[in-house]
Amino acid sequence: MWGQSPAANDINYSMSVQRTNEEWIRDLGSGSDNQSAAIEELSNVLLRAALYTIQRQLGNLAQFSQLEVRQLAEDCAQDAVVTLLKHLPDFRGDSKFLTWAYKFAVNIGLTMARHEQWKGVSLDDLEDQPFPKDRAFEENLNGSSPELAAMRGEVWEILSATIRDELTEKQKLVIQWMIFDEVPMDVVVQHLDTNRNAVYKLLHDARSKFKKSLQAHGIGVDESLDLYRPKR
Amino acid sequence: MNNSKFDEWIKKILATEAKEISCSECLDLLPEHVDVEISGGLRREYAVKLEKHLYQCQACRDEYVVLRDLVRLEADGKDPLSGE
Repeated sequence: MWGQSPAANDINYSMSVQRTNEEWIRDLGSGSDNQSAAIEELSNVLLRAALYTIQRQLGNLAQFSQLEVRQLAEDCAQDAVVTLLKHLPDFRGDSKFLTWAYKFAVNIGLTMARHEQWKGVSLDDLEDQPFPKDRAFEENLNGSSPELAAMRGEVWEILSATIRDELTEKQKLVIQWMIFDEVPMDVVVQHLDTNRNAVYKLLHDARSKFKKSLQAHGIGVDESLDLYRPKR
Repeated sequence: MNNSKFDEWIKKILATEAKEISCSECLDLLPEHVDVEISGGLRREYAVKLEKHLYQCQACRDEYVVLRDLVRLEADGKDPLSGE
């Protein structure tokens, strides 16, 4: 899925898997004689995790060179080490230390990669497009039965009325960007200068309104499952 | 939006619950969830609400998938950067 990174081979990794959770916490703590060595080891581990994450996200895209991927991974690993050390007291020992540590590299790596992929795309331009759009699905797709197309049309009428009459302006924006234009959440978060929880809440509140509208028209979970079950 | 994405959107709308965990709560639980999954351990009490969040949230789901695959490769003794 992703190409091998020649630069990755110079990263020493073998020792890191030998530490226990307790040894990681002890050695990374301030005042430890082993702190410098532990931080260096952690940096190597997180660089590998960052490379894995970013190669996987960007590696098969021609516009990103191995050098760019490597540079991005190094930036990511540095941020991940700083963030992890800040959160070290939060580690509860519920997981392996390295799994917990990887979380930071994966989170920052995917966020950086998505920003790279969407660099140069203006969400304000997307905002200028009319919304709700005329339709949200393809009516004449081969294999779609007329009944199914009619049901989709009915559902879309309900949803578009809900968008128009019940969603807040911010909910409309987030639905347009994330559902219709498939903008990643992290890009929306940055554009709105907010955080992921806030955007998730906007989406959740909008979904709740949509669900209520559909249920008010007699469309519930069971019916939807029947409706969208492939016809034989 | 094509038909399959439209249908998936409707399913997600109808699967909406009054109370769902936040992205922060999800990411906090993710490392333990991944370790339990890979070790074949007993599912934790929070697994259902976590999986419901992962179903609704593409960003958290992407992080879960990458983290799980990375940890699984290492658990299997494979080099994640080998490209295999």
